[in-house]
Amino acid sequence: MTATLTEKAGAPPRTGRGKARRRRRGPSAYAVLVALTAFAGVMLIPFVVVLFNALKTPQEYSTEGPLSPPDGFNLDAVRAFWERTDFGNVLLNSVLISGSVAVLAVLLSVLNAYALGIGRIKGRMWVLVLLLMANTVPQEALVYPLYYLSKQVGLYDTKLSVIIVFTVIQSAFGTYLLSSVLSAFPRPLLEAARIDGAGRRQILWRVVVPVVRPTLSVLLVFFFVWTWNEFLIPMTFLISNENQTVSVALGVLQGQRLMDATMSSAASLLGLLPTVVFFLIFQRTLARGLTAGAIK
Amino acid sequence: MTAQGRGRSREQWGYLLYLLPGLLLFTAVIGVPFLMNIGTSFTEWTGVGTPSWIGLGNYRELVKDEQFWASFGHNALIILGMAVIPTMIGLVLAAALTDLIGRHFGPRTASVLRACVYLPQVLPIVIAGVVWSWLLAPEDGAVNALLGKLGLGSLAHDWLGDPATALWSVIGVMVWIQIGFPLVIFMSGLQRVDPSLYEAAEIDGATWGRRFWHITVPQIRPEIFVVLLWTTIAALKAFAQIFVLTKGGPGGATNVPSYYSWVNFFEKSDVGYGSAIATVLTLVIIALTVVFLRMQGRDLEEAPR
Amino acid sequence: MIKAGRSAAVLAALAAAALSLTACGGDDDGGGSGGKELKLWHYESPDSAMGKAWNEAIKEFEATHPGVKVKFEEKGFEQIQKTAPMVLNSKDAPDIMEYNKGNATAGLLSKQGLLTDLTSEVTKRGWDKLISPNVQVTAKYDAKGTMGGDKWFGVPNYAEYLQVYYNKDLFKKYDVEIPTTFDELTAAMDKFVAKGVTPLTNAGAEYMAHQFVYQLALDKADQNWVSAYQRYTGKVDFHDAAWTYGASTFADWVKKGYIAKNSVSLKAEDAGVAFMSGKFPMMFSGSWWFGRVAAEAKFDWETAVWPGAKMTLGSGGNLWVVPKGSENKQLAYDFIDITMKKKVQNILGNAGGIPVAADPSAITEPKAEKLIEDFDGLAQSGGLAYYPDWPVAGFYDVWVSQTQKLMNGESPSKVLGNVQKEYEEGLPK
Repeated sequence: MTATLTEKAGAPPRTGRGKARRRRRGPSAYAVLVALTAFAGVMLIPFVVVLFNALKTPQEYSTEGPLSPPDGFNLDAVRAFWERTDFGNVLLNSVLISGSVAVLAVLLSVLNAYALGIGRIKGRMWVLVLLLMANTVPQEALVYPLYYLSKQVGLYDTKLSVIIVFTVIQSAFGTYLLSSVLSAFPRPLLEAARIDGAGRRQILWRVVVPVVRPTLSVLLVFFFVWTWNEFLIPMTFLISNENQTVSVALGVLQGQRLMDATMSSAASLLGLLPTVVFFLIFQRTLARGLTAGAIK
Repeated sequence: MTAQGRGRSREQWGYLLYLLPGLLLFTAVIGVPFLMNIGTSFTEWTGVGTPSWIGLGNYRELVKDEQFWASFGHNALIILGMAVIPTMIGLVLAAALTDLIGRHFGPRTASVLRACVYLPQVLPIVIAGVVWSWLLAPEDGAVNALLGKLGLGSLAHDWLGDPATALWSVIGVMVWIQIGFPLVIFMSGLQRVDPSLYEAAEIDGATWGRRFWHITVPQIRPEIFVVLLWTTIAALKAFAQIFVLTKGGPGGATNVPSYYSWVNFFEKSDVGYGSAIATVLTLVIIALTVVFLRMQGRDLEEAPR
Repeated sequence: MIKAGRSAAVLAALAAAALSLTACGGDDDGGGSGGKELKLWHYESPDSAMGKAWNEAIKEFEATHPGVKVKFEEKGFEQIQKTAPMVLNSKDAPDIMEYNKGNATAGLLSKQGLLTDLTSEVTKRGWDKLISPNVQVTAKYDAKGTMGGDKWFGVPNYAEYLQVYYNKDLFKKYDVEIPTTFDELTAAMDKFVAKGVTPLTNAGAEYMAHQFVYQLALDKADQNWVSAYQRYTGKVDFHDAAWTYGASTFADWVKKGYIAKNSVSLKAEDAGVAFMSGKFPMMFSGSWWFGRVAAEAKFDWETAVWPGAKMTLGSGGNLWVVPKGSENKQLAYDFIDITMKKKVQNILGNAGGIPVAADPSAITEPKAEKLIEDFDGLAQSGGLAYYPDWPVAGFYDVWVSQTQKLMNGESPSKVLGNVQKEYEEGLPK
């Protein structure tokens, strides 16, 4: 089994085999391809609608309705929104917060999961239930207590407060997934390392982490995207405009009784781009994915 | 036996060290706030000033709150829309993309398709709500227009306005939002399945369905558990998707419990009652988590290694 | 192995860098405002009437206060609504901000002691002389936080009310007269329905639908009725003649096709866009649409008060409030004073807003002039009846959901019974 493991860890050169197999495409394979492409297309329809409205003038939108295609390219909405909310700064804040949370939460998940999955400490299920509470408690219940606590320690209206809170909240999923994965970690590998004289710390960083690295990148993507789209806690804790995130800044366009549909569409596309880029960058690592079972 | 046991317990203390940062942070960010939340659930409080103690008053009110308990019924359907259906579709899609598309047309095609399906996860929920209410609009919405073009005009409907279809329409949108999550996790899980397993099965003449049932599903059992529990918790806490589409309407037909705590916290400034609802909801979810983790533990122990 | 070690190190370095960066970001919040800066928040978009007028006020303020900088931040409505009590209870509160009027908003904050009592300033600067009594109601609160009290906790700069927007092109096309009385209104709607046109645009998922119900009830009510409902000065019976008439007439209108049954799930935005794209001859909604219709509608249109109404929905606009923790209260008062001056008020009026103290001769745009004239008529006769969702916190959702039931065929008496129950439960103790 160690053999499979090493093969997975280093990118397997599968292209040759893939080509050999591609010769045997039957008509049914094409049917499936067409069906799945159609399905993916349907999934994208709402995005087309968002794009349409992002490119319309408010007049076009009001007179022709939201579903008609735009007459031409109109990027005024994007430009106006960018200036109105100092969007460059907002983007930077979001990247900073989501990036820090992604990295820190992965780190925290690894440490937790090492104790739970590899260490198999007593009562680990109950510890897991406890740590999972970071996700089970509804966020609205946390807002008032966290507000008073953060005021106490002087972190109210700072990006740091949001980073800390989401590091804990997101790490719940990481802890759960990784400890499920690590509880199936091949014991012989650990034994071998131990015989070589490796301590617990070395085993973690040199044996365990390299093996689950693809899983870690999946977590990194999820945490980044989730934190990016969080709304309630950033809205309550990032009061100053200079601290605002993308999702909070979008709220400016949702007025008391009116909304600005064209600008909202443009702005949401703008706010969506970084996450899509992030996702595409990690596509490759995602493809290698969670290697829990390579170890079985 | 005892010596070994003692060695094992010393061993355990070493690992406990790794849990320390997690537990400390958890205590500060979740533990203490949750206890504070339980505390305020025994009070009447507007969020500012001194709360006044009313003992079990909020809970007594909650037990009598018919609408609150009725809305738990909608949750059962929402679990269907956010957890069960996406998991099933995700599983089939993941298997099809990996087993058929990936092997016959190359992994690049598969990952482009996966990216398309994942994309809804990235769209801010507020915008998703606005766009879907355009698409589902009764007069000139795209869904009804499409039905008309297909000659099915008689099926056109006020999707979000008729109590009979509103919840189902919301569930449809939730499925759209949600499938990307299980798909990505399942596809990465499937990467560790040895391709020769599929090849051998194909040569033996196993149909796609049989390969799916006998190879795919057993291999990614841990992922299925993780995804199911996670999406079920999300479904129990679901609120944003409903809020942006129907605000719980028409006439409460799509109401959910977490909506109550939201309204009480932020619309009515009745923080005490909101805390009580949140506490009950949390306890329900924790109970569910425990049952689920027990099942998972037993199932994975039994699974052949 | 070495590779793994390195990536762990990179990870740690990244984390450390992120932390130190954010720590720096957090630190420089503490300093700043030392009397030379006016921290101002509002949530009106820059191209709205208020946005334009207040922008001018900021310029004016900086010109008359050399050395003082206005640090303006545009906020999301949602953010201010949900977090105001928390912000105002912290040291990050602004010096002056826009906030919603009403018992559940400004009233609650005043009760919690988070707003400055402006009464002496109001009389000193004579703002109470500028604002008509009917508009003042939403600026003054009593000890329980109920509007119409004796102390000023905010100053309204503009006003708002509901009116009917008529698409004159459609009226001409279908050969229908624009109605001036209630009977003419129903007759006109009958004509439209006969020609296959739904006369009124509507949004069941938001405020529009229950505002019809309230307006219809107002047609059969008086000022005591409004006061009892809005300010708890008397018993409220939802099965009285006015409410029963309002709810059953509305249900009747849906049945007759004056209002589309399939507007149950529509939002105000959808309904407004449908009107502006020329699909409906009439829209009954607030003056907040005025600027947008003026800018975006391609047909000939006009506005008028609800036909035959003595009272209609409307009130003073959102308030300037001065948080308790404001560090520059005098500057904040100076700023309010500038927004009350003719110059700023005239800009507001010409941009499609309803100023509270403009110079009528300076309003040059004819449609805006009519809008303001109609409003002044209502305000002087005490015809502003506020909004149905105000009296009780969380009442908006109740009204939306009960009106949706009404549209879907529930009996008016049952719906009003539900509203009554929620009203009584929600009354301030």
